[in-house]
Amino acid sequence: MPSTITEKIVSRAMGRKVKAGELIEALPVDKIYFNEVIGPPAILNFQKDFQDVYTESGKRVQVFNPARVAFMPDHTVPSCSIMVSQGIKMMADFAKQQGIQMYKEGDGIEHTIASEEAFVLPGEIAVATDSHTCTQGALGALAFGIGTTEAENLLATGELYSFYVPDTMRFEVSGKFQKGVYSKDLVLHVLGTMGEGGCSKNVAEYTGPTIDSLDMEGRFTICNLSVEMSARTAIINPDDTTMRYVGEALARRKAKMTDDVRGMIARSDKDAAFSRVVKVDASQVEPTVSLPHSPANAKPVSQVSDPISVVFLGSCANAREADLTVAAKILKGRKVSPSTNLIVIPASRRVYNWAMDNGLLKIFADAGANIESSNCGPCFGKHMGILAPGDRCLSTSNRNYKGRMGSPEAFIYLGSPAVAAATAVEGRIADPRKYL
Amino acid sequence: MQVRGKVAKRFGDDINTDYIIPAYTLQESWDKQFFADHAFESYDPSFKAAARANKESIVVAYNNFGCGSSREQAVYAIKYNNVVAVVAQSFPDIFYRNCLNNGLLPIQVEDTSKLAQGDELLIDLDSRTLTDVTKGSSHRIIATDVAIEQMKRGGFLGLVRERLRQKLKAQPQRAS
Repeated sequence: MPSTITEKIVSRAMGRKVKAGELIEALPVDKIYFNEVIGPPAILNFQKDFQDVYTESGKRVQVFNPARVAFMPDHTVPSCSIMVSQGIKMMADFAKQQGIQMYKEGDGIEHTIASEEAFVLPGEIAVATDSHTCTQGALGALAFGIGTTEAENLLATGELYSFYVPDTMRFEVSGKFQKGVYSKDLVLHVLGTMGEGGCSKNVAEYTGPTIDSLDMEGRFTICNLSVEMSARTAIINPDDTTMRYVGEALARRKAKMTDDVRGMIARSDKDAAFSRVVKVDASQVEPTVSLPHSPANAKPVSQVSDPISVVFLGSCANAREADLTVAAKILKGRKVSPSTNLIVIPASRRVYNWAMDNGLLKIFADAGANIESSNCGPCFGKHMGILAPGDRCLSTSNRNYKGRMGSPEAFIYLGSPAVAAATAVEGRIADPRKYL
Repeated sequence: MQVRGKVAKRFGDDINTDYIIPAYTLQESWDKQFFADHAFESYDPSFKAAARANKESIVVAYNNFGCGSSREQAVYAIKYNNVVAVVAQSFPDIFYRNCLNNGLLPIQVEDTSKLAQGDELLIDLDSRTLTDVTKGSSHRIIATDVAIEQMKRGGFLGLVRERLRQKLKAQPQRAS
């Protein structure tokens, strides 16, 4: 019987064939990573809830498999408060005691590191304590966010309980992007069509010639934002582009592409059962922004010209090499508008250093940007550019909820790095096409 | 198993977890009650007093309640304000699972439009019926058998501890 990539990944994990809708009592998970928001309470709860079970069994406290766990402090680092510092210290101590890899503050945003460092691989089941874990779907992994309790359970047993194999909604994307249109515009357009609850209970699987032609950065962006239509997660069938990326990521950790890695790859069968097929014509998509206060409130940028006081180029959605490249192209030799504050935060230390080596940071600095070390930045609404009442911010991130980045009386717009750069220059929402 | 409560608050569609508990609070405590004190503080500062006015409160919403961030603190923020259940027309998966793990009942019914603020609700998990005692109307609760079971247990901790016990038993003894 034909299967979706999601069904195949769960089937591989279970060692038997499963179908969408099926209840899995205990699903073994391949990888789990933690940020410093949920890591500390998860560690505390893990110790509180399971310590006595280890003691009764005559064992020392040991997570299910330290090689499958990673800690990535990224939300408000370098630490912005005493509690955050304490939490990171707790993670570091626990990591050392358990043999878990602990990344340093500034190494990058968890979802960027997880793929750049080949921590998550195609065909794996990966979870993390953050809803944007769906970003790893671009690798062809089944990856999604979980809460603190499921994470502490996973530390103990490596399993997720009472998991329903989700249905899949397939987005078939064809057509060539117009000039100035990127994957961010495409996914904002899709969110606008579907609404914030439009993909609930379903995996959003993206296919078609447009997706095939995208680089990995573009694919990560699309998967990242799919949770804004409440998708269970997003996924893209791995192809040569994926495997080239994974090969380079493995090389970074001095590992090689092996038959074991290749053997994990799954792809949906052509005639697999989808709950719905949505056709998207990418050639009709214009540069798009989502207006306050919903990611699904999408409008063509040509219809918007609101004044903007803060531009944020960063986040797990849009701060990799290709994103910074297009912004630098527009900002080169230009100045940020006197009425606007531009904040640039590369998605990882690797991207930061790459941007430095290739002169992009100089372009941003010369334009008048504030460049920060890698972290989630103002998207988390706690440091590095908190919005005041009345502020209007254009952000390349994924959520423009009221109050998300500071005052509930501020206004947040979402757009691509190209829109962000053009907007920073003009001090109002601007169409990037005239700069390209 | 039956649970009773009074509708303390009504919300619309797409209430995200940022609205329920703002991000700037998340790293500032490891105590669940702390989040109750900050529930909805940016989005609806009247929530806390309304929920605490009853011994058992119920929150009612339309579609997609709890969307967005996976922060489990959103569940603590609601639950520790005397809230026993959230009744909505749909829930996204992460929030629904976080509710089940913490003994906050996520009750899905087809139409919540008639459940008014102040109404007395009776949730019967065995017959899967939500009764609006004030209005005398009843609604079928949509849930899988497993979810109902978890709602009755108030979470899975007991099961996971047993599972860990079995796994540790199966491991070879290691010298420590």
